[in-house]
Amino acid sequence: MKHWKTTALAVGLATVVGGHAVAADLVRVASSQRGFWDQTLIQFGDDAGIFDKHDIDLEILWTDGGADAQQSVISGSMDVAVGTGALGVISAWAKGAPIDVIGASMTGSSDLFWYVKADSDIKSIADAAGRTVSFSRPGSSTNLIAAKLVAAADVDAELVPTGGPAATMTQVMSDQIDVGWSAVPIGLDREASGDIRIIASGNDAPGVAEQSVRYHVVNRNFLEQNPDVIKRFLAAYQETLDWAYDSDEALQMWADMNDLTMEEAKSARDRGYPREALQPFPIKGTDQNVQEAVENDRLDEPLTEEQVSEFLSTAEEVRGSSSE
Amino acid sequence: MKAFVEHRWGPAFAGLLLVVALGGCLQLAVGGGLISPFVIPLPSDVLAEVPSLFTEEGLAHLFALTFGITLLATLLSTVIGVPVGLFLFRQRDFGQAYENWLGAIFSAPVILLYPLFLVVMGRGLHTIVVMSVFVGVTPIILSTYRGFLSVPPVYVRVARSFNMSSHDTFWKVLLPAALPSIFTGIRLALIYAMINAVAIEFLVSIGGLGFLVGDLYDRYNIPGMYAAVGFVIIASMIFFSGLEWLEKWLDPQ
Amino acid sequence: MSASTGAVPGPIISRVTVIRVVTLLAVWAIYEAASRSGLFFEGVVPSSFVVLRTMFETLASPEFYPHLFRTLTEVVSGFVVGVVAGVSVGIVFGSSRLIAGMISPWVNYLGPAPKIIFLPILLLVFGVGMGSKVAMAALSAFFPVVIATHAGMRHIPPVYLRVAKTFNASWHQIVTKVYIPALVAPVMTSFRLAIGVAFIGTLLAEIKLSNQGLGYLIIQHYNFLRIPEMYAVLLLTFMLAVAANASMGWLADRVEHERH
Repeated sequence: MKHWKTTALAVGLATVVGGHAVAADLVRVASSQRGFWDQTLIQFGDDAGIFDKHDIDLEILWTDGGADAQQSVISGSMDVAVGTGALGVISAWAKGAPIDVIGASMTGSSDLFWYVKADSDIKSIADAAGRTVSFSRPGSSTNLIAAKLVAAADVDAELVPTGGPAATMTQVMSDQIDVGWSAVPIGLDREASGDIRIIASGNDAPGVAEQSVRYHVVNRNFLEQNPDVIKRFLAAYQETLDWAYDSDEALQMWADMNDLTMEEAKSARDRGYPREALQPFPIKGTDQNVQEAVENDRLDEPLTEEQVSEFLSTAEEVRGSSSE
Repeated sequence: MKAFVEHRWGPAFAGLLLVVALGGCLQLAVGGGLISPFVIPLPSDVLAEVPSLFTEEGLAHLFALTFGITLLATLLSTVIGVPVGLFLFRQRDFGQAYENWLGAIFSAPVILLYPLFLVVMGRGLHTIVVMSVFVGVTPIILSTYRGFLSVPPVYVRVARSFNMSSHDTFWKVLLPAALPSIFTGIRLALIYAMINAVAIEFLVSIGGLGFLVGDLYDRYNIPGMYAAVGFVIIASMIFFSGLEWLEKWLDPQ
Repeated sequence: MSASTGAVPGPIISRVTVIRVVTLLAVWAIYEAASRSGLFFEGVVPSSFVVLRTMFETLASPEFYPHLFRTLTEVVSGFVVGVVAGVSVGIVFGSSRLIAGMISPWVNYLGPAPKIIFLPILLLVFGVGMGSKVAMAALSAFFPVVIATHAGMRHIPPVYLRVAKTFNASWHQIVTKVYIPALVAPVMTSFRLAIGVAFIGTLLAEIKLSNQGLGYLIIQHYNFLRIPEMYAVLLLTFMLAVAANASMGWLADRVEHERH
C-alpha cells in the first residue's frame, strides 16, 4: 500500500514538473521480443531520456511477433514498428498497405543461432534429414533464415514454428524438437555449461550477412502529417544506438533484464549484435528480399526496379533531411 | 406480405437477401473509400480468394483436420466420460461429492491453460486433442450421471418384478432411459471441443481452420483471412445442423 | 440397499466430505510427485509451494494491479455492451416474426462458432488497445443473451400483449411493463454464461495482442519462461472467473427471490 501512494505521488510530481514532456510529440511504437538487444533499444533509450530530449514521448507496445507489430501500424493503431520482418513488409507494401520503410533494424543475422541437445547425433544442419528444425512464427526472419539454412544444406528437414526462444528451449530439452532456434543471449549459459551445442549461426545462411532482415516501418498517413516527428524519432534512435555502444548504461539495463553479468552481457552483445549490423542505413539486400518474397509466396511477382527504388525512397527522403 | 412471412422459407430467404445486400453496401463503402480496404476488404476480393483457399491452402484438408481433431476428442471424452458418469451414479456418495466440482470445471476458462499444456506436452496436434478432451469430458460425465439419476425408480422396480437380471436391467431399462441426457452431454462436448480446437489452432498456429485464419493474417492476406473466417462459420453451421439432424433421426420425438 | 439422499443424519463427518478431502489430497500429492519426479523438464511443473508463494508475491507487488484493473474494465465494459445489445436485439426478434425469421437463424448458427477467429477482424477495426478487447467481450456476451432473450420473449403469454394493446399502451410502455419484467428471469440466467465467455474472450484477446492485462501478463511470463509466475497468474485468473460466475449466479438467485 505504501508503494502505491509513493508511486502515485511520484507520477503526479513528474507530470507537473515534466513541463518539458508536455510539449513532446507522441509516437506509438510497436516492437516484439522484449529482452532482445536490438528490439529493446527503444525502451533503453526512452528510459535514459534520449527520446525526451528530442521532444518525443514514446508509447511502446510489445507484440507477439513482427507480423502483429506490422499489422498494428498498417491499421493505424500504432505509428511505428521496429524490427519487423522484411518479407512481411515487402508483401504488405506491394499490396498497397500504407506503410513505408524508414530504416533497417537488423542487417545480417549474427544474433540468431540454431542448437541441439549436447547428446544429439546431429552435428550440423546437413544431419537434420527427417528431423525438426524450428523457427519462431510463420513469416518471421527466423522462418526465413531457417528455411535458407535447410535449403543450403540441401536436406529434407521439417520446419516447425515453436514460438519464442525460451519456449523453444523447453521443447528441445524435452525432446519434442530436434534443432531449436535462439537469439543471443538466451541459451548461451547452457552452451557454456555444456547442455547444448550450437550447430549453426544466422549468418551461415548464404547471403544473409549482407541482407537487411528486419526493418523499421512507419504508417504512411502519420508520416505525411508528422514528417518532422519521424525525423526526430530517427535522430533519437540513432543517438540511442551510439549511446548504447559508446557507454555501458544500456548494457547494464540489458544485463538486468536478462539476468546476466556485465561480462556476459558485453560478450553477448559484441558476438550477437555488432554495431554495424544495427545501423538503419544503408538498407541492404533488398533485391534478395524481393526474390525470397516471391519464393515464399509473399509476392506474386518480383518488384520492378522502379518499384524497388520507390520502396526505398521514403527512407532516403527521411534520412536525407535528418542527417546530422 | 403475410403469406411471405408465414411461409416456411420466406423469412430465411429474406435473411439471405439481407446478407447479400449487406455485402453490396460494403462493396460500395470500401470501393468508395469510406472504409479502408486494409481493414475491411472489398467483398468481391474476399470472394475472389475462395478458390485459392482450396487450391493453394488446402482448405479441404484443413477442414478435415479440424473436424478430425474435434471428433476424436469427443470420442475420447465419451469413452472416458460415460463410465465415469455411471460410476458416480452407482456410488452415489462420489456423485454428490463431485457434482458441484464438475459444474465448476465446466464453467471455468480451461482454454486459458493452453500455455501450460504447451509447455508440458509440446506444440503438437496431440496437445489440442488432450485439451479438447479435458473440455469435453465434464459435460458428458455430468449428463450421464444426471441422466441415470433421473430415471424414475419405478422402471427399476418393474424390471425387478419381472425378475430381470441386473445386467439386463442396465442394458434394457436404465441405459435407454438415460440415453437422451447422455446425448445432450455428447452434443455439448462436441460444441465445446470444436470451439476449443479452433481457438488453440489459431493461438498456437498449428492444425486446421484456426491455423489458416491466423496464418493468412500473419501473411497479410486480409481478403483471404476474411474468406477463411467465413469458412469457419460455414463449418460451424454445417457441424451443428448436422448434429441437430442426427439427433432428430436418433430420437424422433 | 436403498438409495441414500444424503440427508440422513449420520456420522459427524459425512462420507461425501471424506471423499472430497481425500480427492483433494490425492490430486495434490500426484501433482507434487509429478513436480519432483524429474519426468518433466525443470521448472515446467513447479512445486505447489513455489506456486503458492509466487502467487502471494504477485498479489503483494504493485505492478500486478494495473493489469488486473485493465482486464476487469475490459470484461465489465464488454459485458455491459453485449448485454444491452443482446436484450435489445432479442426484444426485436420477439416482437417481429419477420425480422426474427430473417436474422435469428444467423444468430443461432453464429452462437456456437468460436469467437476467437473474429479477433483479427476486431484488431483491424478497433485497433490494438482496449477497444478490441471490449469488442471481443461484447461479441462473446451478446450471443447467450440474445438467444435467452428471444426464447424469453417467445414464452410471454400472448394475452399479456393483448391486454396491453386494449389499454392502448405505447411501445415504450409495452417494453417496460410487459417485456422487461417477463425477461428478467431468463436473461439473468444467461448472465452466468455471458460473463464467463466475456471473460474468456477478453483474456484470449489480451494474450494475442495487448500491452496490459492479465492475459498479457500470462503470455509475457510464458515467453520469458517464468513458469511459477505464469502458474500464479493463471491461478488468480481462474479464481476471478469462478468468482464472476458465482456472483452472477448469486445475483440471479437474489433477483428471483425478490420477485417472489
